[in-house]
Amino acid sequence: MTSPAPKPRRDFTYIKPMGKRLSEYEAVTCYAQPDPSAFDKEGWFLRTSEGRVAWEQSSTALKHPHWFDFRDPARHWQRTYVRMQAEQERSIERACEDAARSGAFKDIDPVWLQKILGVHYRVWSYFEYAVFRAFAPAQREALSDTLGNVLCFEAFDRMRHAQAIVIYLMDLEDNIEGFHDGGSKEVWLKDPVYQPLRELAEKLMLETPDWAEVGVVTNLIIDPIVSALGLSQLVRRFAPFHGDTVTPFIIGTVERDRERNRAWADSFVGLVTGPDVPEAEANLIVIQGWIDKWTPLALEAADALAPIFEEAPLNVVTFEQARNETLEAHVAHMERLALKSAVGVAT
Amino acid sequence: MRSLVEAHDRIKDFEWEPSYATKQDRYPTKYKIPSKTKDPFRHLVRDYVSMEQEKDDRQYGAMEDALARSGAPAKAEGRWMEIMKAALPILSFGEYAAMKSCGQLIETVENAELRQGYMAQMLDEVRHTNQELYLNRYFAKHAEDPEGFAQGLQAKGTNIFNRAGRAALEGFFVGDPIEGALNLQVVAETAYTNPIFVAMTEVAATNGDQATPSVFLSIQSDEARHMANGYSTLAAVVSEPENLEHLQKDFDRAFWRQHAFIDPFLGVVYDYFQKERSSSYKEKWDEWIAEDWIGSYIGKLEPFGLKVPRWYEDAKERMTWIGHSAALLAFSAWPLQFWRFDPLTDKDFEWFESKYPGWYDQFGFFWEGYRELTDPGMGASTLSLFESMPPLCRVCHMPTIFPRIDTNTARVQMHEGRKLPFCSEACQFIFNEDPQRYLAYKTWYELYDGYGLDQFIVENGLLRADGKTLIAQPHLEMNDRMWTIDDIKALDYEIKDPMKGDLYKDWIEEPVDASPSAATVSP
Repeated sequence: MTSPAPKPRRDFTYIKPMGKRLSEYEAVTCYAQPDPSAFDKEGWFLRTSEGRVAWEQSSTALKHPHWFDFRDPARHWQRTYVRMQAEQERSIERACEDAARSGAFKDIDPVWLQKILGVHYRVWSYFEYAVFRAFAPAQREALSDTLGNVLCFEAFDRMRHAQAIVIYLMDLEDNIEGFHDGGSKEVWLKDPVYQPLRELAEKLMLETPDWAEVGVVTNLIIDPIVSALGLSQLVRRFAPFHGDTVTPFIIGTVERDRERNRAWADSFVGLVTGPDVPEAEANLIVIQGWIDKWTPLALEAADALAPIFEEAPLNVVTFEQARNETLEAHVAHMERLALKSAVGVAT
Repeated sequence: MRSLVEAHDRIKDFEWEPSYATKQDRYPTKYKIPSKTKDPFRHLVRDYVSMEQEKDDRQYGAMEDALARSGAPAKAEGRWMEIMKAALPILSFGEYAAMKSCGQLIETVENAELRQGYMAQMLDEVRHTNQELYLNRYFAKHAEDPEGFAQGLQAKGTNIFNRAGRAALEGFFVGDPIEGALNLQVVAETAYTNPIFVAMTEVAATNGDQATPSVFLSIQSDEARHMANGYSTLAAVVSEPENLEHLQKDFDRAFWRQHAFIDPFLGVVYDYFQKERSSSYKEKWDEWIAEDWIGSYIGKLEPFGLKVPRWYEDAKERMTWIGHSAALLAFSAWPLQFWRFDPLTDKDFEWFESKYPGWYDQFGFFWEGYRELTDPGMGASTLSLFESMPPLCRVCHMPTIFPRIDTNTARVQMHEGRKLPFCSEACQFIFNEDPQRYLAYKTWYELYDGYGLDQFIVENGLLRADGKTLIAQPHLEMNDRMWTIDDIKALDYEIKDPMKGDLYKDWIEEPVDASPSAATVSP
């Protein structure tokens, strides 16, 4: 008797796709991290000398029955991510080349150049670096591959932002006589205007071991308040009025990353507070606790930047106007997520 | 023109002394790392993404286009393709573990230059994980027999060899972060990526598999940077004299832990799954590990006080036979796996005898017998040739049959009332250095003791789409000689924990003296 020829399976059958069909993103991402609740029943093989195992549920205060259900809304895997960032970096490089060739850099207002780009924008690279530092161990601890990857990509984003500032100022040095980037580190370390921002950065980098907290507060509180005000409202919005056409372009790529990261954080909040999650209510309380803890720090960091708005030769918008717009957008975003903004409480 | 050196100097200056928050000791380390070292390499994010995109386009482009359209994977040697089913799931975990290792190195190592290097490696490791899973899926789509590729990540958790692999690779990030870097960058990447990604590529290409070389060589092009990370980390560590005493111990352990899995596993991959034959794994090992890594790389570090790893000579001596012993177990336990096994031919026998003189005397009887038992009609399986399945080592998880079953160095030690088997003096020593590190998990036998073989197969999804035929087969024929679950039921084979009962009572011995905690163990 001949055995029936079985029709073989030609795709990964163990992944539950987010859409109708298994995406390339899911195929190359899902279950790269072993899942003891699914196929890896033996648990973890090794402990550290201190007794911890590879991944621990206690790495976040949030609870979820299956972290592997998370999906990045941007569906990035390394190839698409690197391609996207290579395109962004190439576009920055070209914009700088074009500005150098056309002499556009020479149109930049000298006060804007010295005070805002040379100091304020340069100081921002330290802040981005701190966020990079916070996300690197967060990706290490995340409780699934899909979460580890978005955190890893965001770590890389932040180093990209920090480096882009330094390289851009080097381009300006090459093209504008008399301009020198001294690093502005003393300003970052000592100027009272930046101390609340540095405090925020150091707390995130050194005292926030909860990987979910790092992702949620950076993308839902710190960026929408501090980066939106200090980078988007001030630098990006003011720049064209000071003859500066390239900086807004660079910040445009940063804002693109910010949107992408906000989207995954939104999706993450949805995941842990979803109707099927038994701990949804407790998770909501935890997240609300993070919001209440980080919003005052973010507001303090943002408010301390008010004097910089005065330093720009042309006051495109007042600090108050910019602040109101930023916070309105933030509060509306929190409402869309069914979260309570702590902005009103703090001010 | 932008000066790369100047750009790097400014980027290294991102670090500052924090004053508003205190760093927590998230990944405790015994090591002191100086804050200034040599740059591991110079790449800005901008150059890095552009370079990696180009490499990705070349590799994925080739796979999506010419290779897929020409049906190349389906034309590769069946014997070779089968072992890729086993290799890719475990290899991809190694990459993923490496990504985690980089995350904790960035957190721990207070050195701006090294942090930049670790960051690029962190993203490289996502790249490699994705590439290998992409290749796995590519084979599922295009290989002649996709069953096994499609289930690899699901099946790996319960597979005895994949478990051993995961246990070794967890060493990349479960422990002191510097110990992790030694396991990952100094041993696995510097010593073993050449035999994995370069030499294996030759075997693949010789056997008609063009997709694997395309992926592996692209991966290997990142490894030089990782080796540089390892070298810079090591150089930073040895520059502090007080690090040396920890370093040698961690290095000794790292080498043995990686060797104990990688060498027997690669030995099987190379020597038993080549159809068109070229070099042996032993030859590759002598070239890449003995001459290149020990002779040249480690030699260069000796002036700094780092010595050849403690069990290197033991490992070298084992190399003649461990691959063959592992193959014997893998083939005889074929129903537990998720890939197929091509019996050796007379031509293979000749090759083995020429590469490993004395092979036939030691192993010929098994391979002659194996050929006789591949037909389900015989009503017997190779598993029934043995009195019991071998104990699995508590530390490395490999069977305790090395270097050969008849000359094995296995031993059993009592620990807190349990009989724990070890494959070697080295694994037992490593256990006694810190026993709690190796007691977190359930052994394979604890999970499956008392299971019927058929029950194990059904429960772990090791059946093909018809729900009857096994994914694993002891031959490559796609015909009525394929084994079904009914054939397995007829064997009436039960999985038994060999440590239950008295079978291995003669092996029990005193613990080797590794640390004070060993003194608590009584025979």
